[in-house]
Amino acid sequence: MKQLGWFLLLLGTVLAGDRAGGYVLQQQVAQSQFRYARLYGGQAAADILLVGNSRGLIFYEPYIEEKSGLKTFNLSYNGLPMDAACALAEDYLDRYPAPRLMLIELTTCDRTNDALLAGFLTFSGQSARLDALIREKSVENWRTGQLSALYRYNNELFQRAIFHRKKTDKDWLLDREIDPELAAKVLENNYPLEVHPYLLEQLRALVAYAQKKGVVVKLVISPYFPRFTVTHLDDLKAEATRLTGLPVYDYRNALSDPALFGDFMHLNKAGAVEYLNLLRTDGVLP
Amino acid sequence: MIFNSLVFLVFVLCFFSVYFFLKGRLRLGWILVASYVFYGWWDWRFLALIIFTTLMDYLFGIYLEDTHAPRQKKQVIIASVVMNLGFLSIFKYFNFFAASAAAALQYVGMEASWTTLHIILPVGISFYTFQSMSYTIEIYRGEMKAERDLLKYATFVGFWPQLMAGPIVRAKDLLPQFHVERPFEWDRFYSGMGRVLWGFFKKCAIADSLGPFADQCFQAPETFGSLHLLIGVVFYSFQIYCDFSGYSDIAIGMARIMGYRFPENFRSPYFSSSFSEFWTRWHISLSSWLRDYLYIPLGGNRHGVYMTYRNNMITMLLGGLWHGANWAFVFWGFLHGLYLILQRFVAPRWDWVVRVLRLPRIVDKGVAIAVVYSLTLLAWVYFRAGSMGAHSFTTANAVLSGIFSGRHFAWWAVINKFQVLKGFLLIGLLYGVELSNAWVNWNVVQVHRPALRLAVFAVLLWFIAFFGTFGANAFIYFQF
Repeated sequence: MKQLGWFLLLLGTVLAGDRAGGYVLQQQVAQSQFRYARLYGGQAAADILLVGNSRGLIFYEPYIEEKSGLKTFNLSYNGLPMDAACALAEDYLDRYPAPRLMLIELTTCDRTNDALLAGFLTFSGQSARLDALIREKSVENWRTGQLSALYRYNNELFQRAIFHRKKTDKDWLLDREIDPELAAKVLENNYPLEVHPYLLEQLRALVAYAQKKGVVVKLVISPYFPRFTVTHLDDLKAEATRLTGLPVYDYRNALSDPALFGDFMHLNKAGAVEYLNLLRTDGVLP
Repeated sequence: MIFNSLVFLVFVLCFFSVYFFLKGRLRLGWILVASYVFYGWWDWRFLALIIFTTLMDYLFGIYLEDTHAPRQKKQVIIASVVMNLGFLSIFKYFNFFAASAAAALQYVGMEASWTTLHIILPVGISFYTFQSMSYTIEIYRGEMKAERDLLKYATFVGFWPQLMAGPIVRAKDLLPQFHVERPFEWDRFYSGMGRVLWGFFKKCAIADSLGPFADQCFQAPETFGSLHLLIGVVFYSFQIYCDFSGYSDIAIGMARIMGYRFPENFRSPYFSSSFSEFWTRWHISLSSWLRDYLYIPLGGNRHGVYMTYRNNMITMLLGGLWHGANWAFVFWGFLHGLYLILQRFVAPRWDWVVRVLRLPRIVDKGVAIAVVYSLTLLAWVYFRAGSMGAHSFTTANAVLSGIFSGRHFAWWAVINKFQVLKGFLLIGLLYGVELSNAWVNWNVVQVHRPALRLAVFAVLLWFIAFFGTFGANAFIYFQF
């Protein structure tokens, strides 16, 4: 009987500690300046909504805001797949006044990333869409998250939220030049892009949802390193146009100076500024 | 079946809900059935192999004891060793030796066109083969009696907690434990549970969190800077330690709950201040097996300096080969053999420096620990690359040249910084606990202090939830 009591006490302690720990961590996240904490904390109202994977991070917010005088909010994240982007953007559209423009980096439709989805458990308590998506795509993680509140904070998104607790993440951008040795090997490297009907369908749904709310949506392909091969990019472009009826602003070869790149796939800060100037000149950005 | 899976949780619940209600042979029978289910879950076809090995060594054991003619005894022990090593060679090394021979012939201008076989490596074969072999060897040496009860012997070979990845428990240590009834004891239960939880923390939280970063470094070393690669190699050293010792902790803990005692397999190896000490702290059950059944029979250190060096090297080379069918594993063994030999030259000179400069003990020890760890790290690069097939040496050399080039030895060039910070935090936790072992007997705390036990178990469970990776990643040593 004494042992049974001890076990019940252990169970109670573990559960209570887990829930209390989860609550404390949630409070820390709520105070963060990290983008998704701001999104779900009511601090993300903007005129321009930016959506993308790591290539969407080059939508350098301080520069856009400086040049256009408009507020921006960037939902992009490393490896963000379009299904998660869709849930986040639709959550945004439900919670804030409709932005004037939503700019989407098209290669976010490249591949699924169920491992990253589990990271959104940190925010799934505030989003029925994220919760449903994780439940559908990563059910074991979802179940573990139901069992343990602490587990919902066992991911990189939580770590970033803590890192950005008192500092903005608006300037999250590569700030280095590509290694010349790596750059010299550009022809030996390539990126096999995947064309995912499921993710393209998510894109179509997001575009339709935004347009219904009166948002102007534009699709772009940001620059790649000169002579870097990305396969199936034209297929992705054609499918996106077919499904959404929108043209794709294709800047894949728009910049040729290697010094503007951090690696083959991403512009650095200087490159981002050049690219954003091009978008403004062409009227893609106000 | 792997420990860090949902299936195993169900297995354990089913097993223990019956286990403590049984006694005597029924209980042993239950262990055996459970062990075969545990093993067969991976691939039931290989049950035939383990059953055949068990039956043969059981008969060899009885025959060895009943035969008094030395010549016949020798023939029987040779038959046992040939059978065990034969299976190991066919399943683990056939393709490796065939490919190596073909490459050697090609090198001298001859064409070899034999084909390799599509052989699946049976999980745990290296462990149960060594365990079974030690049984017949010990009977041959007259160090133990043959086990006449087939049920006990089969349970010894197939005992599920250590079947897949050790510790390699000697027959003379485990078999006598099957002769004594093991009633349930709360002390053993708490002690075992604590060990199991600590093992899960090491595996799920530390090893599986460090693994992806290390994997990335070995998959494309040329794309990372030197600091990134160095961190990757350090992470690998802790990944393999926590993966393997985590498995051993779970095995030791599970056996303890059942009432059985396994030998320790790891004792904070990265605190070793010499390589000979390292091998008394790392995979102790294998290194002591190699010492008793290979190094000492070869002559050990009894026939002069050069024979000692030779015996050291042979033992380490074969120890390397035991880990896997790749020359990179052999090279890893070679490096450790070399370290053991060099240590005999360097250690006396270092002692002289310490005496002359009157270095404090902490500096002496600290330098020695750092040197041993660094050289162990170098060897781990080849070990990790050993599981990468034909490109193992190219990969290992690319990682090392990347590190030593000093190119981008800077924090900004490190990718996935959050993984890095989490990794070092976990390594710090591990070191903290290992250092605390000097002052705190955690086993006594768990058994005799209910309040502290509650706190320890709760903290471990919270840490597993907060830091753990639950992808049911297999243990690294399963492949060996």
